[in-house]
Amino acid sequence: MAVRGNLEDSENRHETAGPEKLKQVGRSYPLHDAEAKATGRIRYTGDMSLQGMLCARILFSPLPHARIRRIDAAGALALPGVYGVFTHENTPDVLYNSQVWYAGQEALKDERLFPDTVRYIGDRVAAVVAANEQTAAKALGLIKVDYEELPAVFEAEQALRTDVPVPALAPWASPFFSKEISVGHVDECFEAPDAVVIEDRVETPKIHHAALEPHVCVAYPDHNGKITVLTPCQILYSVRLVVATVLGLPFNKVRVLKTPMGGSFGGKQEVTLEPLAAFFALATGRPVKIQLTRHESIISTRTRTKTIGYVRTAWDKAGNLLARDLKTVIDTGAYTSNGAIIGMAMGKKAFRLYRIPNQRYRTESVHTNTPVAGAARGYGSPQIHAITEINIDHAARRLGIDPVKLRLRNLVRPGDLDAGGGPPLGQAQIIACVAEGAKAFGWAQRRDAPHGTGRFRRGAGMACATHSNGYFGGFQDFTTMTLRMLEDGSMILNSGIQDLGCGTVTSMKQIIAEVMAISPDRIEAPEGDTETSPYDVGSQASRVTHVAGACALHTAGKLKEKLCREAAKLLECAPDEVILQSERIRSAAHPEKDCSYGEMVSLIQEKNRTEIIITETFQAQDNPGSYGADFVEVEVDTWTGLVRVVEVLAVHDVGRAINPGFVRGQIYGGVQMGIGYALTEDIAVDPVSGRAKGDRFSRYHLVNMPDMPPVRVILIEKGGDLGPFGAKSIGEIATCPTAPAVVNAVNQALGTNLETLPLTPERILRALACQ
Amino acid sequence: MELRFTVNGQKQVLEVEPQARLLDVLREQLGLTGAKEGCGEGECGACTVLVDNLAVNSCLVLAHQARGRSVTTVEGLAPSGKLDALQQAFIQKGAIQCGYCTPGMLMSAKALLLRKPKPTEEEIRMALAGNLCRCTGYVNILRAVQDAAGTAESGEVRKA
Repeated sequence: MAVRGNLEDSENRHETAGPEKLKQVGRSYPLHDAEAKATGRIRYTGDMSLQGMLCARILFSPLPHARIRRIDAAGALALPGVYGVFTHENTPDVLYNSQVWYAGQEALKDERLFPDTVRYIGDRVAAVVAANEQTAAKALGLIKVDYEELPAVFEAEQALRTDVPVPALAPWASPFFSKEISVGHVDECFEAPDAVVIEDRVETPKIHHAALEPHVCVAYPDHNGKITVLTPCQILYSVRLVVATVLGLPFNKVRVLKTPMGGSFGGKQEVTLEPLAAFFALATGRPVKIQLTRHESIISTRTRTKTIGYVRTAWDKAGNLLARDLKTVIDTGAYTSNGAIIGMAMGKKAFRLYRIPNQRYRTESVHTNTPVAGAARGYGSPQIHAITEINIDHAARRLGIDPVKLRLRNLVRPGDLDAGGGPPLGQAQIIACVAEGAKAFGWAQRRDAPHGTGRFRRGAGMACATHSNGYFGGFQDFTTMTLRMLEDGSMILNSGIQDLGCGTVTSMKQIIAEVMAISPDRIEAPEGDTETSPYDVGSQASRVTHVAGACALHTAGKLKEKLCREAAKLLECAPDEVILQSERIRSAAHPEKDCSYGEMVSLIQEKNRTEIIITETFQAQDNPGSYGADFVEVEVDTWTGLVRVVEVLAVHDVGRAINPGFVRGQIYGGVQMGIGYALTEDIAVDPVSGRAKGDRFSRYHLVNMPDMPPVRVILIEKGGDLGPFGAKSIGEIATCPTAPAVVNAVNQALGTNLETLPLTPERILRALACQ
Repeated sequence: MELRFTVNGQKQVLEVEPQARLLDVLREQLGLTGAKEGCGEGECGACTVLVDNLAVNSCLVLAHQARGRSVTTVEGLAPSGKLDALQQAFIQKGAIQCGYCTPGMLMSAKALLLRKPKPTEEEIRMALAGNLCRCTGYVNILRAVQDAAGTAESGEVRKA
């Protein structure tokens, strides 16, 4: 759509003027599919209907831990319209891990399509595949299951106890993973006589990603033994890997197509429904759709990892952070998923925000009989920053130093190295974020304003955070793209990208358009298809703009070189004398011999007998930090314990905004998610029954429009790292500083030290009663 | 059971089960998949359609309750192909990300503007209180509705 960006492109952007004049990058074009979404024309997976398609419904375990003695499916199978009932008895027993994204990746494999021992309320017991949803639902009710109940554990620290027997959940001991990263002399700093030591225990909840589209998948077989999987996923090649492994198929017999994404936030990053749908399609020879309800999506897919953090910091009186000792307990739920690496992801962030010469990070991961944790926007960053930033504010109170001043004294500077041994921090502009933010927010005035003494108390708080830009320094990170210019001058980018609704497709078009002097709407950039797209590591790890975007930039650069080289032969000039401008091409010496891109590509085909096409692999070579600081004002009702967030200012170091409208959009949404994390969201597994209390939207509270505060955004765009035009990630960091900023504001308003999220009315009133 | 009603200006006579939800009839019998099911209990608003110009959660309404009435879905917002002012504003103001809540948001906003062409910010917030969005933080949705209503101030959201 040829609509010019008008989303206040120049508003609140702190740029370092570069030498280049950008035409396409830095403009807020609408999403490529915005019109299809606004008219209802777009077809999400649940909207798709294929000839002869069957529906599958899953029977989820009502018990938190039980051995299945017997399943009687006779009644269900006798129902007309039922094509199959699937249980552990007639499905593959191949074990897999839902989070692996590349072949050969090590991870504990403990999940299978249907287990013979269920491990949580929401585990898969059986499935019915039937002609329609109603029949499938009716048949589910006719399945009789005989369970032998087993003891269960619902709390991570319970699972770590050595004085009482812990139920065996898996063949591995508890914790199933533990690791330590340590630099400097931590213990000595805490023993120093004049050190001020601040200690906290912070708990963060299991939350639901709450994409508006519940989990869904369609799979169908073809006449040659190939299975095609239609899925709104984040990592096509992860889906292919797990489906092929479970079904025992060659990779080229599993085709995965990315369908429009109705929201993910990490919730659809791991492989959940896809191997089931693929197996049912193979078994019945028919297309099969699995569409979960909201309730099923909440309890049976993935959650944000519940984390308990113990943090101790040692300070001198001037406010220098001398040492920190951190420990996290990771509750990964009933299956391992990413339970090992997420603790490490948290720990690595702890070394990239403040200059801390002496720091130790320890992590222990355990299984519990609760819904499975997994990837979730921020991948551990919201947890670790809640833990550490609440502690920093606690220290500021004890030291009598303003929290902004205390942070400015200790934050990392541009060019700093990672004390924990990770990749260099790059142009880490967190000091600029905090300084600009404090000024724009009126921090000093708001912080000093009276809290009030009546029913309502006001407070101001802030917090900082950092996140990654891909996998460089940790895992392999590269992308391959093929870019072509066609005989009419239009272009096709063929790649494995997955747009999650954040604007990936449009951003890639803008990057290519900038290089090729073409309008973005002349570029087609379909999303990934494992049969035809080159490899991509996936829409994960905040890598898409920084790494895939850099691939688009490099590929376009190579394509431009080829176009100029071939055109030079026809224009009888040197390649560097060829000028591309507004979709026309000419030589510097003979501007009158000017022709359109399409005419030139056609001529090149005819005379030079070649095609303007390039396939390029880009390997990430840096992983700078993205940084953000949120400033928040809250009003707390001391009678009800309810918190109203009055205003949020979010300041983010994004290197360069490829599309500032998209960047702001990510931040607004991240703030909404962060406020929910701080105040209301918790699937709240009951410690006695193991049942999730927040198991549907009427009992799980997202921030809605009346409760959403105004949000101001400031973008710091100083570039300097290896992303396209200096761009860094925003999608995940956007939500990381919000929750601790809200908690810190509430603690300032009330003079409390609340540190268990979410700050429910009950917790707030209890803290007030203790004062 | 026979059901006669009008959908997006088109008269329909359908054979519909007595217990069928309006949402399922629209999606499955009429192929109008714009309205979505996000929760099935009237909390998220993704299934919002207009019944005689009032916004309803089509997951909570029996299809037969629409007997003789006029139903408008998102597909009916631009009958002549020309986008409604709300659709245009949603596209231009960045009010759409994943887009799953968009049809419901648009229909709730449409019902508001039909009843109150120049709503205040508070009225917009209350009218869309039953439509959840996880992507946008509602910031650009609010701006888009204000823009479509011609009540946008300077594009900036309210100050506290």
